[in-house]
Amino acid sequence: MSDILIDDRIRDWVFLPIIIVMFMIQMFRGLLTKYMDNKKTSQKVTSKAQVSEMIDKNITQQSQRLARLHGLLPDHSFKMKRAHLCDNKSGILTKASEKPAKDPMQSMSMMNPAAMADMLKQNLSGIVFMALQYQWVSYFFSGFVIGKVPFPLTQKFRTMLQRGVDVQNLDVRYISSISIYFVLLFGGLQKIQQLMFGDDTDEFVDDTQMQMQMQMMGMPAMPSFGQQNDPGKLFIAERTRLEGVKHTFELNKSQDKAIKSLKRFLIQ
Amino acid sequence: MEEPKVELDDLEVNQERLKLNTNQLKNLRVYGSLNAGMIAGILGMDGWIGIGIYVAIFLIVSACLAIKMNFRVKEYFKSSYDAYYSGIGTDLLLFLMIWVIFHNLVNIL
Repeated sequence: MSDILIDDRIRDWVFLPIIIVMFMIQMFRGLLTKYMDNKKTSQKVTSKAQVSEMIDKNITQQSQRLARLHGLLPDHSFKMKRAHLCDNKSGILTKASEKPAKDPMQSMSMMNPAAMADMLKQNLSGIVFMALQYQWVSYFFSGFVIGKVPFPLTQKFRTMLQRGVDVQNLDVRYISSISIYFVLLFGGLQKIQQLMFGDDTDEFVDDTQMQMQMQMMGMPAMPSFGQQNDPGKLFIAERTRLEGVKHTFELNKSQDKAIKSLKRFLIQ
Repeated sequence: MEEPKVELDDLEVNQERLKLNTNQLKNLRVYGSLNAGMIAGILGMDGWIGIGIYVAIFLIVSACLAIKMNFRVKEYFKSSYDAYYSGIGTDLLLFLMIWVIFHNLVNIL
């Protein structure tokens, strides 16, 4: 099959505009997300159920932090903190683990206003733009061949890559415009944007990727905002973890470590 | 290229510096795959040779990294596999995208 030469005007009016427009929309989405994040104010905790949830969350955070950073505390301080949490009668974790299991439906409805706003914003800056671009590309630029992929593909890809082009024997390498859209989408305009924006948007990229994956799997399955159906078990697990911690104060070892590092440094 | 040192002593790793190092490595790899895509596209490479160019440039980036670190991997990253070979699949899509774009711009359109 001899090479097909494609008119210059297709490059000027189709290929480059698609790339430029998609890139701009990506940048715009980044700025939009930043703007939304700035506008997000902290919400007042109003209902009682929310207050108790916050308390539970704070308790777990405290115990996790203690379990992680115990090396920074001297012996008596660590023992005091651990007793405050895990004591058999008056420890916070023991008291909290005796709470009944929460009703999941009730707790979902409590979180709904904040949850709905968040999901709405994620959807807006995610799927809507994707659908919009797809519609735009397939409306304006359908029915002709745009380019050629450099690698050989099987016939199975023909329907995906050559939508709107009805020439049967055309090499599968020749692609229509919608496939450029897909290549750009999956290929990662995000990465290039990440290079340009620097390290600020690290979280942003993770978010959109995650939400794209979530939305491709259909309905996101009840994103858990840290709710547990049974908080008692969580607290019992935390308690056993804390009681099993072998505590050593790092300052005691620091002299030996310093000697080792200095020796290594001097030897080099 | 700035890579602060990470001292590995008794299984203790400075987490923030390790994160800085890996971020820098990720940026480097993205640049590498961009360049590989441009080379493969402009020279009109076809099929498997193009993917070979991607792998080759990936290894060249790893080699330059090794020379810059004076081959002392442990002080900068967790392991040599991590630093040299680990992320080869993640930037492949980016390479493909750039390859398709440049191949079309230069050779066909």
